[in-house]
Amino acid sequence: MAPSVGSSRIACLLVPDLPRAAALRAHPDLAGRPFAVCAGAGPRAEIASASEEAIRLGVRRGHTVAEARSLCASLAVHVASPALEEATRAALLDAALSCSPRAELEPRCAGAYAGEAAVCADASGVTPIFGGEAGFATALTQRAAALGLPARVAVASSRSTARIAARRIAGDGETLLLAPGDEAEFLAPLPIDVLDPDDALAERLTRFGVHTVRDLLRLPRASLAARLGPAAVALGLLARGHCALPPPGAPAEALVAEALDLEHPAERLEPLLFALQALLSRLLARLEVRHLACDELALSLELAGGGRDARRIGVSAPTRELRVLVRLVAQSLESRPPHAAVQCARLETRGVPLRRDQLDLFRPPGPAPGALAPALAELASLCGAARVGAPAVADDHHPDAHALREFGPASRDAAPPEPAGTFLLALRALRPAAAAEVRLRAGHPIWIRSAVCSGRVLRSAGPWRTTGGWWSREGRFAFDHFDVQTEDGTVARLRYDHVTRGWQIDGVYD
Amino acid sequence: MSPSPDARVEALLRDLGSRLRRGGSHEAARQASGGRRHATGLADVDALIGGGFPAGRLCEIAGPLSSGRTSLALALLAQATRAGEWTALVDAADALDPASAQAAGVALERVLWVRPQDAQQAARASARLLELRGFALIALDLAPTRAQSPLPDAAWQRLARAAAASGTSLVVLAPRRIAGAHSALSLETRRARAHWSGTPALLDGIEIEAEVTRRREGPARVAAVRLRAASRAA
Repeated sequence: MAPSVGSSRIACLLVPDLPRAAALRAHPDLAGRPFAVCAGAGPRAEIASASEEAIRLGVRRGHTVAEARSLCASLAVHVASPALEEATRAALLDAALSCSPRAELEPRCAGAYAGEAAVCADASGVTPIFGGEAGFATALTQRAAALGLPARVAVASSRSTARIAARRIAGDGETLLLAPGDEAEFLAPLPIDVLDPDDALAERLTRFGVHTVRDLLRLPRASLAARLGPAAVALGLLARGHCALPPPGAPAEALVAEALDLEHPAERLEPLLFALQALLSRLLARLEVRHLACDELALSLELAGGGRDARRIGVSAPTRELRVLVRLVAQSLESRPPHAAVQCARLETRGVPLRRDQLDLFRPPGPAPGALAPALAELASLCGAARVGAPAVADDHHPDAHALREFGPASRDAAPPEPAGTFLLALRALRPAAAAEVRLRAGHPIWIRSAVCSGRVLRSAGPWRTTGGWWSREGRFAFDHFDVQTEDGTVARLRYDHVTRGWQIDGVYD
Repeated sequence: MSPSPDARVEALLRDLGSRLRRGGSHEAARQASGGRRHATGLADVDALIGGGFPAGRLCEIAGPLSSGRTSLALALLAQATRAGEWTALVDAADALDPASAQAAGVALERVLWVRPQDAQQAARASARLLELRGFALIALDLAPTRAQSPLPDAAWQRLARAAAASGTSLVVLAPRRIAGAHSALSLETRRARAHWSGTPALLDGIEIEAEVTRRREGPARVAAVRLRAASRAA
């Protein structure tokens, strides 16, 4: 069954020149200056895109860098970055998702439209929020501009028509609305190239005298397939405003990534951190436009020589604060620097809703989550990551076992423990346990010498045997514990280790 | 006609009155903390220390092994965490036994346990936590050293000022008094006797003596109290 022009309304958010937009987004200082993006490095690299200022000075696509510089000495040249362009396309999708729950990236085209980036968003039911399709389209352009993307928006009844219409818009920030049923009339006078036929089909259509969409629609449908093939049939459907693609769907997850190919590999941390700060800034802008926050960062660095450095940087609470994330990234890199120069950097996060802490009128607020994350990271880099956290009783019979949990405001609502009711004697652990020399009588210690306590044992209780880990050669343990009071007044916990066959003091009652 | 700047200053000085004095950092701390105190939950000890350890001050609990200083510290943490406060333990001695803390009634999820490798790291960690604010109580447990004090005098001064600025109680645990004049309240503990009972004998608990040996505010000398730490809950 042929796809129909149904009641759906689709908005196409389009950036006509992706390489230029990507370079401007990464280097905002290029705005207003002549610059060009080329396909490779060196004076013979071809210009793929140029700014308006450079075009006015005669720079054109296809010129070599040397030719372009001869026309404009002050031309700034940047090498095209696939990573940057992908991130720019993803940013365009974020701008669309900030206005509509259903949006998808349009597939990349070849030929004349190879340099464009487009997103289609569901424009149904936008009136209660945006006051109509005009308000919706304007909001889309504004959200894209907030992310540094000069975009234009067209609204039509199908994805393909909306995209074609967006290509016809003259300037950035402008919008075009096609009322339902007006698609065919809009498309009719346009040149056949707007339908993006492949080169062979375009040539054959030209030989048949088909120059506009109207000319194509005049051809009999039956003979179109027989004489020009199924590609021409598909082109005919597009000309009528039909689209084989389904309406855009909701994304599966909110994964936000920014990447950058460094023009010069970063050997020192300072330039790398400078580049990563810019990446983080763009990442956070995209999260903000979608009302999301970052709860964990995945940093991936491609190194000179083909190596890779991948690391995860946790955040104690979802945040959108640049200062906090920059500090966490810096601490991660300072504590474990990459072992080679960095050529490409990628930052990825799964956007999560920003948690609003509900303060309790009757409980103290505690440390601010936004300030807590960098403080915990600092303490971890100072003392060791495994030495900072909330203590927990380990589910283990080994007397030295203890556990550490993540410390954070998540446990704010935990019920307070029952009061002890009595002033309890605490055990002060010794880590590692202190070696002791012990003399026994009838199996009980009568004299101890150690760094903790020494002398005659006045009283003792025990032994109590604890064993475990018998299934593992490395993990097996067996202790006989005694509580002892020595003549110097210390009350300690003494143990005999059956594995090492030695005496230790593993705690003092204090 | 609006009053002159001089007149406005005069009026302000009159309003401030006796609250305005030279070197008023302690007064500022008292006001910032609202005169709050953190109790241990042990009536005799709390009466001895004027209701609790004052907020915004550096205090000490000093005593040799088996004198009850760790038990007192856990009782203090238990009271604070049960009241919903956030606390931290900078454990340079790496001596916390989570099972003991839990048995004492400490809400472990409300304790940030930091285990620095030495006294200098412990001081930096404590300073960072004081700067962070939001912690009502920070206990700094220092391992015994041969030196008179594991930290120089300037470090104690900085920590005391940071505690005053943040309104946090910084309680230092050590075998002996080490913070000198920077401690607003020093509670010293001594072993009295250990109690054993039963056949075969089991450790029932330890009797300790606690005495305030330094106090910046309040009575200069108060008689020591004796209390008993039990090895098992009643």
